[in-house]
Amino acid sequence: MDDSTLDHDALMQRVDTMMSRGETAPRLARDPVNLPQINTWLEAIGDPNPVYRETTTATRLHGGPVAPPAMAQVWTMFGLDPHRPAHDPLHGTMQLLDEAGFTSVLGTNCDQTYARHLHPGERVSITTRLESVVGPKRTGVGEGYFVTTRSTWRVGDEEVATMMFRVLKFKPAPRVDRTRITRPQRNADTDFFWEGTAAGELRIQSCGSCDALRHPPGPMCPRCHASNRGYVVAEGTGVLHSFTVHHAPQLPGRKLPVTIGLVDLPEGVRMVGELMAAPDHQWRIGDPVAVAFECIDDDLTLPVWELDVPRPGLAPAEQDADDDTETLPAWELPVTTTLVVAGALATRDFQDVHHDRDLAIARGSKDIFMNILTTTGLVHRYVGEWVGDPAARVTSCALRLGAPAYPGDTMTFTGTVVDRDHAQVVVDVVGSVPVGDHVTARVTVALAGEEVA
Amino acid sequence: MNGLSGRAAIVGIGATDFSKESGRSELQLSCEATLAALADAGLQPADVDGLVTFAMDNSSEIAVARELGIGELRFFSRISYGGGAACATVQQAAMAVATGVADVVVAYRGFNERSGQRYGQVQNWAASQVNTNGLDNAWTYPHGLSTPAATVAMQARRYMEAYGATSEDFGRVAVADRRHAASNPAAFFHGRPITLADHQASRLIADPLRLLDCCQESDGAVALVIVSAERAADLPNPPAYVAAAAQGSGVDQFVMTSYYRDDIGIGEIGVVGRELWRQSGLGPSEIPTAILYDHFTPYVLMQLEELGFCGRGEAKEFIADGAIELGGRLPINTHGGQLGEAYIHGMNGIAEAVRQVRGNAVNQVPDAHHVLVTAGTGVPTSGLILARG
Repeated sequence: MDDSTLDHDALMQRVDTMMSRGETAPRLARDPVNLPQINTWLEAIGDPNPVYRETTTATRLHGGPVAPPAMAQVWTMFGLDPHRPAHDPLHGTMQLLDEAGFTSVLGTNCDQTYARHLHPGERVSITTRLESVVGPKRTGVGEGYFVTTRSTWRVGDEEVATMMFRVLKFKPAPRVDRTRITRPQRNADTDFFWEGTAAGELRIQSCGSCDALRHPPGPMCPRCHASNRGYVVAEGTGVLHSFTVHHAPQLPGRKLPVTIGLVDLPEGVRMVGELMAAPDHQWRIGDPVAVAFECIDDDLTLPVWELDVPRPGLAPAEQDADDDTETLPAWELPVTTTLVVAGALATRDFQDVHHDRDLAIARGSKDIFMNILTTTGLVHRYVGEWVGDPAARVTSCALRLGAPAYPGDTMTFTGTVVDRDHAQVVVDVVGSVPVGDHVTARVTVALAGEEVA
Repeated sequence: MNGLSGRAAIVGIGATDFSKESGRSELQLSCEATLAALADAGLQPADVDGLVTFAMDNSSEIAVARELGIGELRFFSRISYGGGAACATVQQAAMAVATGVADVVVAYRGFNERSGQRYGQVQNWAASQVNTNGLDNAWTYPHGLSTPAATVAMQARRYMEAYGATSEDFGRVAVADRRHAASNPAAFFHGRPITLADHQASRLIADPLRLLDCCQESDGAVALVIVSAERAADLPNPPAYVAAAAQGSGVDQFVMTSYYRDDIGIGEIGVVGRELWRQSGLGPSEIPTAILYDHFTPYVLMQLEELGFCGRGEAKEFIADGAIELGGRLPINTHGGQLGEAYIHGMNGIAEAVRQVRGNAVNQVPDAHHVLVTAGTGVPTSGLILARG
């Protein structure tokens, strides 16, 4: 907080004042729930459920089309209008943290509940209160405060939906330029290894005479002294022989901490490599690992290692035979600029980072990225299509957000049933992009019968 | 006994102040320490005809000779592999004076290792040097393993897993060193002992290593004067005879990253230990005190095992009851070690061994008739046993 005048104590004092105000007065949505906005949303998200359309199913079940539950928040979004009510707690806290030097923002959690479907013509209102501001915490993106608000949507006095929304307001950590990573010294004895990594192969030197494998490589076989040599391509798996988590001092081209492993390969050699996992992952000696390749630039590709076990909740379908876990078929969704922009506008989220590439890049992002409401809609669609019954209804959805989804990424949704009875089914969903999990969500769906008109 | 044992002695020791910012050049530090060592030995610069230092030292033998007006040199030598060179500089000098190749040899080491180039930081030059060491470092540096602490942490983690040692076991080494430094006025950490709780509360540097597992970064210089046993008899100080002097490189040896042999520990110091016992005819039970190179605490435990002071994996029990502190079975690093006194690449530890043999150390061990000293491990290394006459 060296670059601001607002220190932690002063900040928290003003936070306390804001929290003491409690809930805001109800604010009415600009428009009633309406078919044009629903249709725009359906086109962007691609949800095929007939109850959101003018169909006989909708008429039979609800007397006409209803709004997708994931749209609850859409009705009260501010849109392009820059005006904000004087005491909007989220907006006020964001301004306060901006003042304290925590200028970047990242959504981390969004837990919504939906009491019933909303019908066209109904006009919702929203109330919001600031629940907590916690920090400063050191995170993977920088130091910041977690800001949690609670909102309630009502039609008249009837509560129709709720949301716990948490954002991280942070000071961006300095960007790390991976191309500054220390370059390997190479020569005729070792070029084959680095040519291999560039080609996506982990190569182990083999003696042309006695076939002995060896790493690190060298010009002469220590066993038989032959200098004719080749290589084999490693299977790419290994077991952790040891590791260290490097906290200090700074390393060129890397963000700390860095975990480095010593890996025993089944071919009988050992290699050092960076271990890639979530920042809070606890590695253990003996962990199975698999190689991946990180292209730094045209001159250098590094072999890196990842945990070689299926993550919980991501069990592939073929493992179903071994246990009773019920999984959803995976769904691969290409993330396009159109999807990101159409989703942002259909959810009335006009934050520039979701539609304006120039501004997104100027703010330090590599591109525009998907907004939370679109992610929410896609998670609902994935689970809804799997349930397959238009009479089923999503009653809650707890989202935890991770890596951003950029145009060009492929988002892969997978799901696992964690609970099921006659009345409802609970599904854990993971939507992953190449750099990690974009979203993990727990979705509860009320099964048919509950609400038939 | 072998051909070298007892044929040479350290007769003079000298040092500068130990600081974080010496305010003078590395060459000046080495010259000051050399003059101090010669004065301690009752000799003049003109008596010197041989100089030995570390390959890493930035002040050449000829530069030191020029500054001190030493004149002609008949013998000069440098030893590679960083801190592994320390005891080997004395071995070189001892071999030279024992064979008559030289009469008076000074071994010196001086650097601004805190205010100048800090060894605890990433040394990119080590990865970019165009030689086999540079090629070796290609298997670690680009992967993010590029500081001494991190390379040791890799071994320490494996050691903990294999033998059940804990961070607290490492911490006991730091506590012992700092206790000894606390009563040594020359130590940087004079008057500042630590507790095990302090160690446990210190921040992680390279997990499992904490800040207090790592030696200091220091500015300073140390010099040692070595002459033949015959010549030593005519000089004022009680000679510290070289009962044994050994170098050691292990199987499939690398610099700090010998990760490709079956046991990724520090086998190189085992090579040194076996040679020290062979040359001296002594065994571990006959050593009342030792200076064990303590750049990182886990290596002290491993050294106790490799040198035979205890069995493999038993160092944590060996040190548990204060055995390595003053009054214990084997007090180590009575000057405070490189964690407590200063990090002068092990040369200050040899000077302390000389004081113990002379009987005038600030933390004197009763009847220190033999003192074992080691140089930096994890790299090709060296060791000495110094003896009272």
